[in-house]
Amino acid sequence: MVTVPTACPFCSCGCGFYLLAREGQLVGVAPSETHPVSEGRLCARGWSAHEAALWGDRLRHPLLQRNGKQESVSWDEALDHVTARLKELMNAGKPVGVLGSSRATNEENYLAGRLARAGLQTNNVDFSYYPICRPLLEGIAEVCGKHAPSIRLHDIASSQVILLTEGNLAETHPRAASSVLKAVEKGAHLITVGYRKTQMARLASLHLQATPGNEGEVINGILAAVLDLGLQDRTSVPIGYDALRRDLETVNRTEEVRQAAEWIARAERAAFLIAPSCGQGDQSRKDAAAFAKLAAITGHLDKPGSGLLPLLARSNVRGACDMGVVPDRLPGYDPLDDARSRERVQDLWGKKLPPAPGLSAESLLQSVSGLIVVADDPPSVVPMGQRAMAAMERIEFLVVLDAFLTPTARIAHALLPIASLAETEGTVTNMEGRVQRLRVATNPPGEARTGWQVLAELCGRFTASYRSASDVLREIGQAAPGYAGVEQRLTEDGWGGALLKDFDRAKLVVQPTRTTGLAALTSVERPYLLARDAAFDWGHDPLVSFSPTLRRDYQSERKLFPNGFVEIGKADADALKLSGGRQAKLTSVHGEAMVPVLVRTDLKPGLLVVPYTFRDRVSNVLGSNGVTAVKVERP
Amino acid sequence: MAFAIEKRAVTKWLEKLLEAGEVVAPVRTPCGDVLFSTVRSAEQVVWDFPNPLHPPKEFVLPQTDPIVKIRRNGQHHEVEAVHDGTRRFLFNARSCDARGIAFLTRMHEMEPADASYLRRSGNLTVINLACVTPCPLGFCICTDSGPFLSDSYDAQLTDLGKSYLVEVGSAKGEAAVAEAPSLFRKATEDEVSRRKNLEVAARNHFGEETCHFASAMRRISTGRVPDALWEKMGDWCLECGGCNLVCPTCYCFSVKDLDRDGTWIRCRLRDSCQYAAFTLEASGHNPRAQRKDRMKRRFFHKVSAQYYTRDGAVGCVGCGRCIKVCLGTTDMPAVVAAIRKGKWHE
Repeated sequence: MVTVPTACPFCSCGCGFYLLAREGQLVGVAPSETHPVSEGRLCARGWSAHEAALWGDRLRHPLLQRNGKQESVSWDEALDHVTARLKELMNAGKPVGVLGSSRATNEENYLAGRLARAGLQTNNVDFSYYPICRPLLEGIAEVCGKHAPSIRLHDIASSQVILLTEGNLAETHPRAASSVLKAVEKGAHLITVGYRKTQMARLASLHLQATPGNEGEVINGILAAVLDLGLQDRTSVPIGYDALRRDLETVNRTEEVRQAAEWIARAERAAFLIAPSCGQGDQSRKDAAAFAKLAAITGHLDKPGSGLLPLLARSNVRGACDMGVVPDRLPGYDPLDDARSRERVQDLWGKKLPPAPGLSAESLLQSVSGLIVVADDPPSVVPMGQRAMAAMERIEFLVVLDAFLTPTARIAHALLPIASLAETEGTVTNMEGRVQRLRVATNPPGEARTGWQVLAELCGRFTASYRSASDVLREIGQAAPGYAGVEQRLTEDGWGGALLKDFDRAKLVVQPTRTTGLAALTSVERPYLLARDAAFDWGHDPLVSFSPTLRRDYQSERKLFPNGFVEIGKADADALKLSGGRQAKLTSVHGEAMVPVLVRTDLKPGLLVVPYTFRDRVSNVLGSNGVTAVKVERP
Repeated sequence: MAFAIEKRAVTKWLEKLLEAGEVVAPVRTPCGDVLFSTVRSAEQVVWDFPNPLHPPKEFVLPQTDPIVKIRRNGQHHEVEAVHDGTRRFLFNARSCDARGIAFLTRMHEMEPADASYLRRSGNLTVINLACVTPCPLGFCICTDSGPFLSDSYDAQLTDLGKSYLVEVGSAKGEAAVAEAPSLFRKATEDEVSRRKNLEVAARNHFGEETCHFASAMRRISTGRVPDALWEKMGDWCLECGGCNLVCPTCYCFSVKDLDRDGTWIRCRLRDSCQYAAFTLEASGHNPRAQRKDRMKRRFFHKVSAQYYTRDGAVGCVGCGRCIKVCLGTTDMPAVVAAIRKGKWHE
């Protein structure tokens, strides 16, 4: 039996475990007590992390679409064809783009970015989860400059106060939830902000009810209360408190909010955990900024054992950002228009970079003629899935690199099979900023090659070439200064990876921004709010959908509700005489839809929630919004 | 029958065992963990170690366990059992794990007997290293599964300083000694009495973890654990399934066919009764839809008198793995204490 230490491919907690292989085949997972994140513990997904690679529909041979069918070809033929077709499109002046992935390694993402910017001469580069987490990351960056000074998952367990704005932490980030439970067991005050009484909310000392998409109102209340009580930490952040106070004048401060403010401000060690919200971009960005401001002015971005963690859904969201596979940032997550960063990357790549920011994932899908998708299935990730699928079907030349036969892979014009995370070398960066190595446990099936190799070969045909994954990581160290020396440190440190340096705490900026609360969306005519649950849909991720153990829940839900459902609180359901499984008619300014309801006891009146996986069932009603006012009728 | 072997001779014994079959033993990984793994040389075997978190049941009941191969042949299907006839020596297992494997074997011997499991366990020689120092989270003393064993092993080693006392508990144990008979001598009376003293000393050095099964058993067997308590505890479980997956006595599984170039390999996959979908029926009905129901089920199976009568033991060997592996706080000693006291976290 072979035991190979590696990093978990699911959420961004970045646990470590051993993959077990027998006779060249994955057979299981063993926990590691010495890993600094997982410390011997794993969640259900981690325990079944070997399954997708073993049981999944794996891609084995390069395929090109001919006469409406995907036909097996040699690697040379496939790569030559891809190169020729992309050059043809570029010469014809047609837009092309590249999608990296938060399920791909740093090396794959870096090469995808370089291929786009230096090879295809376009900033049309993004990854499909970025539009969802972008407001959150940008809100934090507004205060912290880039990433927030992070708290280690291990340290959360000894926090005295935890502020959590959440989707459903127990489900999205079980390892983080574990630390929260251990802290609460030791007597920490857990404050949850959200619209649903989740498992974490039930264990909280204080649950602050929020309107979906407007969690910032509660956060601003706490911020105002901190200033009212004079509890701000004056030494840590030089800011104009008067301006901030004026700005927060109209914010509602309840007794509960005051209590939360006291706990947070008086704590020695506090953890701030924030998940992407379902709100509109600008509002979500402001909410995230308010959250970071609260952490900053209470001094918790400047204390050991305290810090802020954005709860990113997939394993390598942080890495994909740091590799610059986003339309307006370069490797190092530096803004595209920052002259010094541009120069650094241009010098390294020996190419002039296009100046204007590219298109974001959703617009990119709608408008490019040629697209390379690296290890992802965008329609299952972006908010408007069906629209994305329809757009992808119209793309003139679609190249997909993946280990699994996803819906996107099925419609590819060129399908390049790559290794799964169990078969490749490379690195991923968790939400703490910990860079960890993936190690090869088994060989990829058939003719599949590692993703970095395929991208390096494509890069070679347009720009530069590489000999090994370490070569790529070394270059990442030059392109993204935070990663300088990581390659060396990983060789020395082994398990546990290399922690990136936190952002310089002296650079915190807290500026007052107008706290325009979300205008009341509801009206007499449309008295209910319909919200799209922001929790990531693992059910459509190949790592789950191909795992016999993990897919059961999701599969049965879709089998029981082929037309999807929206959740409604018990009181509302009773008032509308709606029982579970019955159709309800939802009408908004955008349109209407008939959809079955599921009655929940953890939802407040006036609120309906559609799980992310069923979002397309009510896209007529939601439009492009995450929250909208609706009329609910029993037909 | 008790033998003794000098410490410097153990390498030679291991070399003989390596010639005779596969040797599974605790080894230290480059990352610093200790894992049960197949070894290639005697030097790999670790002698001073806390019990590895990943249990050696992997070698009788693997996480992915191929049972039969199914091939299409014209209009028919050919079905062929997958044999794992490898002779294995599980070396330096801890007492709790030896007891765990004995528990699993008893279960799989019940009618209808599980041929696949029994083939593996029949070829496995369990050689445990008695625990002179109990591990910090272990409570095997509460489950009669350590620190020293009086049965359930093929051979039991006790560290006597310069030599090991080797107690043989079965014909398989005798055969393991017979692989290198010249290395062993009959144990002296002094050696046997030192072993007894070590056992007494070990029994007096347990940590703080205790697990009072008897009173919990009385309550759970007579339905006197309030539903509200299960519900409360349910919120402290994150449904990772880790407790089941590392438990030396858990054996729940599901079945899935693996397609390998037209041959279907029917596999038994280790599963957890704490997963919502474990009892999900094809109709969509789930008899244990809520976490409290699943927890209740788990602890009823582990601790109730009904199962104690059937299995002859509680479904726990006191290894303490669930304490380390639990993402929440609902490990065996915590839940048993809550059942006994009728309250949780108060």
